[in-house]
Order: sequence, then C-alpha cells, then structure tokens
Amino acid sequence: MAIDNSRARADNRPLEITATVAHKVLIIDDEDDIREVAALSLESVAGWEVITASSGAHGLTRAAAEQPDAILLDVMMPGMDGPTTVGELRKNPATAAIPVLLLTAKVQATDQRRFADLGVKAVLFKPFDPLELSNQIASVLGWS
Amino acid sequence: MEPAEIAKLAATLDLLWQRFLPQMLERIALLETAATGCRNATLTEAQIRAAHNAAHNLAGSLGTFDLTRGSVLARELELMYSVGDGPAPELAPQLTSLAAELQSIVESRK
Repeated sequence: MAIDNSRARADNRPLEITATVAHKVLIIDDEDDIREVAALSLESVAGWEVITASSGAHGLTRAAAEQPDAILLDVMMPGMDGPTTVGELRKNPATAAIPVLLLTAKVQATDQRRFADLGVKAVLFKPFDPLELSNQIASVLGWS
Repeated sequence: MEPAEIAKLAATLDLLWQRFLPQMLERIALLETAATGCRNATLTEAQIRAAHNAAHNLAGSLGTFDLTRGSVLARELELMYSVGDGPAPELAPQLTSLAAELQSIVESRK
C-alpha cells in the first residue's frame, strides 16, 4: 500500500511509515519463457523480489544462498526434476523449511498422487494467468 | 492493479512473446516433423520424445500468453505422443491437423 506523505510534509507532521511486505520468491524452471513471465508477474503485480534458476541443481544453490520466502518449482526438468529437487531441499537444513509450490503442466491423476506425497504447499498449474499467479501463491502461503 | 498497470504488464508480455516466438515456432516445427514421420511410418524414438517435449512446453506456455486454445491443442498432442511406441499411423492426419492449427494460432498473436 502506497502512502501519500505530501500533505504530512506540507503540514510538518511526522511521516507515516509505509508497511510494505516485500517477499522474495525463487522461481526454478528450465523453460525461459515460463520463468520470465512468472518473474514479470510476481514483480509487477505483487511487487515481490524474484530470483530465478534454470535447473534444479542451480536452484538448490540459490535457495541456500538467498533464503527465499518461497520457491516456485517446475516439475518436469531435464537432469534433476522437481520432485527430486524438493527432496534435496528437504535434506539441507538451510533450505528444509522453505515452502515449495510446484508449477506443472502435468495433470494426470498418478502425478497428482505423487505430488501429494512430497509435502509441498500446493500444486499450481500451467498455463497460469500472469495477473493471478501472485494471488494464488499469496493465498496458499497466507501472505496478505 | 490500476488499468494503466495492467496495460503496462500486457505490453511487456507482448514484448516477451516476440522474443520467444521463434522458440514457439521451433517447437511446432518438431510437431510437424513428427506428424510427417508418423504418416510415412518413419517416426523415430528421438522424434517421439522431441514431439512430446515440444507439446508439453507449448501446453504450459501458450495459455500464459492468452492463447488458451493453443494450450488445449498442445495438451492433446502431448497425450498422443505419450504412448511408448508413438501414435498409430492412422492418427497421422489428426497430428498434422493439430500442428497446423497450432501454427495458425501462434502466428495470429500480435
């Protein structure tokens, strides 16, 4: 929420403090287009800080170093896929508690059962609406 | 979001679309190649895998760029290429038709 302090300055009153909560989200996806649209969406619509990684392995490094508030993780990636990446995040005490949301274009029932066993916060589906993605994430994580 | 902010986001999405359009068209070309291979009974395992991945990527991407119908068609193709030995030869006309419609949808976006 932006607060207009121009009147306060004019009246020489104390300035209000803007209570902006800037969450930091790590997006891990091997597809450039999805990664960029998701980043644009979260930055533009929600005003969050976004960091990105194009592979599971790179994502593990970035998560440990940057300590994001949440991770948006693609399921189907070459090399280390999403579920394996979740397992590796959980093994590392530095990243074990970071909430993970899967982002997937897979919709088969067997996949959904497998995702449910991973202990992720939610499974979000591609294609997503760039105007709604941050709302979905905020709703799941209780970010107001 | 204010209307002006939404318009700005849409404009930035359009720029991203232009940047990624060649990539989208490459994916469709893989689907066309696989459809031809299916029709000629020359479809290789590598072509099936490439077509499956291309369809999967398009299914995830196109709707994000407001091409919902494109995502639906790509999902259909993804399922058709999910079969171990690839789609049966009698499905070749459908594969060709779906790839052609995808091409048309992608090219119609400004």
